[in-house]
Amino acid sequence: MAENILVIGGGPAGLNAATMLSELGVNVTLVERDSFLGGNPKKFKYKFLFPDMQPADNVIGELIKKAEAAGNIKVNYSSEVSDFKENGKKFDATIKSADKSEIKTFDSVIVATGFEHFDPARDAKYSYQLFDDVIDIKDLERMMGENNLLRPSNGKPPKKVAFILCVGSRDRHVGNQYCSRVCCTVSVKQAIELREHFPDCEAYIFYMDIRTYGFFEDLYWKSMEEYDVQIVKGRVAEITSGPDNTVVCKGEDTLLRGPFEIQFDMVVLASGMEGGPQSPEISKKLGIELDEHGFLKPENVTLSPFKSNKDGIFLAGACTGPKAISDSITEGAAAAMNAYTYAVKNR
Amino acid sequence: MKYNENGVSIVPSEFKKEIFDEARKDFRYEEYVRGCLNCGVCTGGCPPHRFFDFSPRIVLQNMKSKDPELIWTMMDEYIWACFQCFTCAMICPFLNSPGGVIAILREIAVRRGFESAKKVLKPYSRVLLKLTAYGNQLSPDMIQPDFFPDWGPHIGYASTDLAVKRKAIPMPTLQVTNLAWDVAPETMKELYEIFDEAGVFKILEAVDPSLYEIVQDIVDDVRSS
Ligand SMILES: Cc1cc2nc3c(=O)[nH]c(=O)nc-3n(C[C@H](O)[C@H](O)[C@H](O)COP(=O)(O)OP(=O)(O)OC[C@H]3O[C@@H](n4cnc5c(N)ncnc54)[C@H](O)[C@@H]3O)c2cc1C
Ligand code: SF4
Ligand code: SF4
Ligand code: SF4
Repeated sequence: MAENILVIGGGPAGLNAATMLSELGVNVTLVERDSFLGGNPKKFKYKFLFPDMQPADNVIGELIKKAEAAGNIKVNYSSEVSDFKENGKKFDATIKSADKSEIKTFDSVIVATGFEHFDPARDAKYSYQLFDDVIDIKDLERMMGENNLLRPSNGKPPKKVAFILCVGSRDRHVGNQYCSRVCCTVSVKQAIELREHFPDCEAYIFYMDIRTYGFFEDLYWKSMEEYDVQIVKGRVAEITSGPDNTVVCKGEDTLLRGPFEIQFDMVVLASGMEGGPQSPEISKKLGIELDEHGFLKPENVTLSPFKSNKDGIFLAGACTGPKAISDSITEGAAAAMNAYTYAVKNR
Repeated sequence: MKYNENGVSIVPSEFKKEIFDEARKDFRYEEYVRGCLNCGVCTGGCPPHRFFDFSPRIVLQNMKSKDPELIWTMMDEYIWACFQCFTCAMICPFLNSPGGVIAILREIAVRRGFESAKKVLKPYSRVLLKLTAYGNQLSPDMIQPDFFPDWGPHIGYASTDLAVKRKAIPMPTLQVTNLAWDVAPETMKELYEIFDEAGVFKILEAVDPSLYEIVQDIVDDVRSS
């Protein structure tokens, strides 16, 4: 008889885990709280992905197609695990949607509940939601996905845009000390896209450290060499309104200018990634550990980053911390392998 | 302390080390100085930064540097540019307090009677006198155009005929112009005790010896009354 494995979360990590398991002949139950698959990249309509600017559809669309085509993946949309109990080496889970609720026994479980975007309104100094032209990177992804790169305040093309890094990350005031890892690269990518779209529009990036780690550095170099993106070292201390419907970024350029107050048409906040409400919820429901950053905690961050502290429950993707899609996909495969091995051993 | 022709202090490195250690040993040090991202948020929000070559980021970096020389370079002028508004402490993502570090350094300068502290405190000598000798801060006779140019164009008028104007105030006042309120001698004696214990008189002696003498005369009078 085929194994039954539960995958919670239908983003890149969960989709790849489900697909790999289905290829091994496992009966997969995929639980997704949204009414669609694809996770955050789908929700916010990412258009082109770093590092190579390939269309997001090549990746996310592909993952969704494979999962939907597999005969042995049962996708439960708009649903959640409402009750969860250990049953010897197996697990009994109640899967609940708006109109029904069903109890099933699983041999093992993969948690791939992902992340939430930091809400920049929580950091008042950036005046998000106060000024129409202050947006964040997920808003800009969505705007680009909808082919609309115009200023929200007046629908005109922007002439000068600032990207502010580390919003909601590396700041004790908002409770997040960690680095969100992808926002530097996302911002550099978006600055390039903006300059490509509006060659007359200037783009500035205000940074503390540029963390385009590994090969992502290529994009950073390219942004300066080919797109003349202005890179200014200094974290913006305040955003206020300026004359002629502009927003003013105020701060210290720690290398060149000293104090600055620069007017922009549009400001893009590089808000980071958080464990969201789902991480503590899942942690409580499944009895797995939460870490001090608000993400799910792997049994051993280096040796077994895809294992929870509970035998038979595995972790994949951004639910254990900020990471890129490639890492999430890799972890989905690793978790699938481990969940399968556990299931077979305890057959 | 010796100064060169540019007014810069000339001191041996052991002395700079002593000052540095004194700051590091302050009981608030651990709370004020943590790590630093060199991000410049503190400086971006700092009011004087817009007018002077002054940056709380530099203050914090210097303090973390373990280099007594860097701390010393700030003692003559740099630390006095701060408004002590603590905006920096409110917005620093690391929860440092550059303004707090400045307070520690200023207190050292005052305790040790550095020339910079004397210069900064000079305009406050009348306030110091009223406060330490009489337990008052501002009194009517302190309202003089020379001392309060920032009080606007009517300061000249406000400073004349003080006795008459005070009588015109429709509530009980002391009817005197050299005090704002009357502090009982017993209270004053207690205050002197506190100033003694807390080292306030010693600090006063270090920063303004002649003012100290005037204050001591009054203190002696009150104590023997
Ligand atoms: C603005 C931005 C741009 C980015 N651009 C790129 C890029 O160009 N290239 C790149 O490599 N990476 C990029 N990333 C990173 C990428 O978004 C993540 O690596 C990826 O989304 C993580 O996938 P995931 O499956 O782990 O989580 P998610 O994408 O968050 O998916 C998790 C899924 O689980 C579901 N879920 C959550 N809780 C529950 C629950 N309790 N029950 C059921 N379902 C649940 C969610 O609805 C969601 O569908 C970007 C990130 C940001 C913030
Ligand atoms: S990736 Fe860059 S922008 Fe994001 S938190 Fe890290 S340093 Fe800041
Ligand atoms: S306390 Fe001093 S250093 Fe800090 S912001 Fe205010 S003036 Fe600037
Ligand atoms: S705000 Fe804090 S972390 Fe940033 S430079 Fe100032 S002291 Fe350092």
